[in-house]
Amino acid sequence: MQRPDGVRPRQSTDGLAVSDVTHGFGDADVLDSVTLSVRRGETMAVIGPSGTGKTTLLRLLAMFHEPDEGHVAVDDADVWGLSERERLRVRRRVGMVFQEPALFDASVLRNVSYGLHIRRGWRERLRSWAARVRGGDRRRAVTEALAVVGLADAGTQHVDALSGGEAQRVSFARALAYDPDFLLLDEPTSDLDPRNTAAIEAAIDTARSRGLGVAVATHDMNQAERIADRVAVMLDGRVIECGPADRVFNDPGDERAREFIDGELVY
Amino acid sequence: MIETLSAVDLVARGFAPLVVDFPFERHYVESIVLVSLYVSLTAVAISTLVGLPVAMLIGFSEFRGKGVVVALINTGMGFPSVVVGLLVLFAVSNQGPLGAFDLVFTTEAMILSQFVLATPVITGVSLAAVTGIDDGVRDAARALGGTRIDVALVTIKEARYGVMTGVLAGLGRAVSEVGSVLIVGGNIASADGTSVTRTLTTAIQLEARQGRFETALVLGAILVALVLVINGIVLRFGGGRT
Repeated sequence: MQRPDGVRPRQSTDGLAVSDVTHGFGDADVLDSVTLSVRRGETMAVIGPSGTGKTTLLRLLAMFHEPDEGHVAVDDADVWGLSERERLRVRRRVGMVFQEPALFDASVLRNVSYGLHIRRGWRERLRSWAARVRGGDRRRAVTEALAVVGLADAGTQHVDALSGGEAQRVSFARALAYDPDFLLLDEPTSDLDPRNTAAIEAAIDTARSRGLGVAVATHDMNQAERIADRVAVMLDGRVIECGPADRVFNDPGDERAREFIDGELVY
Repeated sequence: MIETLSAVDLVARGFAPLVVDFPFERHYVESIVLVSLYVSLTAVAISTLVGLPVAMLIGFSEFRGKGVVVALINTGMGFPSVVVGLLVLFAVSNQGPLGAFDLVFTTEAMILSQFVLATPVITGVSLAAVTGIDDGVRDAARALGGTRIDVALVTIKEARYGVMTGVLAGLGRAVSEVGSVLIVGGNIASADGTSVTRTLTTAIQLEARQGRFETALVLGAILVALVLVINGIVLRFGGGRT
């Protein structure tokens, strides 16, 4: 069944998950027995003080590292039990936006089309490169992704000409363009002004309405309240509270989660 | 009456003696330029194909002795060319490990010696360039679904100005060195004046020693012009925004 906008809804079971994951760098554990899942069509906010493991959690979900203990799974398939080729296929269903835009030194169009470009075979890549040299490559998905972040006309600009907020919006469009199933956002608006923050939040809402599962790490609780369906509160590398946003914000079960939400937790 | 001369007249009258008395054969110079370009460009192309992946491997992996490897590469940048020439001569001589290939006094031996000279330069400068790229860019390429090769290509593209500088520095080292190509190439020209292993630098050295300073100067000017043209091409294609 298709929605009125023509987008085919995705299956709403399973999702991207970590189960009982412990991970550290050196001797220190950054994550300690964390279990969490992001389902398609929902926005999960991961909140908590700085240095509590939110970024590490997202990087594990993005399959940057294999966890020291525990599992990372997509639709119940343990991704680190797959062959490298199969894992690449699964990894390509996940997109990630970082705190810094980290755009490539090229035009907006080239940045946003990168994910699509690398999903082609080498022969096709060379052919599209030749087409781009002639100035003809403007894919619909790229234009649509740019429209989602309100930068439909910015394609031909070089990224150096963008403001910080616009650059972050391009970074968001870059992750959206290849139509992933899951989107991981690591403090995507922490350096942005209210206008650009609103644009990113609107884009998150659009992504969710298209059926993507979105996980946002943020320390901005107002933002979490605005955009999230579910909220996970992290402290000292553990998830101490997880549930529907309304319940977590209004009636948290964990005392430290309540103190953090109320701004009483000195950390 | 003042006579007005056209450019053609000027050349015919005023500069004709210069042209006619030009102190070398055009064919001789052309063959020297061709040998120089062939040897240096081939050596630098091979050095780039070897040096760039090595720079990527060293830059993005951690292993014991990495500091020693980097120090060796940096030492190689300043390795004396005559010593390299000597070592390559030993290698290609009859008793050497490459003796069976009969490479003494050939352009292939010259390419080998310039490869040895240019590779540390290209590797060292490229290593500095690729490790200077922000980790976030590589993370982004990977997060967007890039394979290791995709991430490496993005890194090289981001570091292209530094890599180009390394290739240019390697080319500069190769095209302007005298010692090793003189030893392994022998500075040979055939009886009809065609260069066999004579390059611009070895020819300049020979012409100057024989007192033909005009020829040496003209060859020097060609050498400088060549380096300028190569720089221009690299700046045009490597420095342009995409």
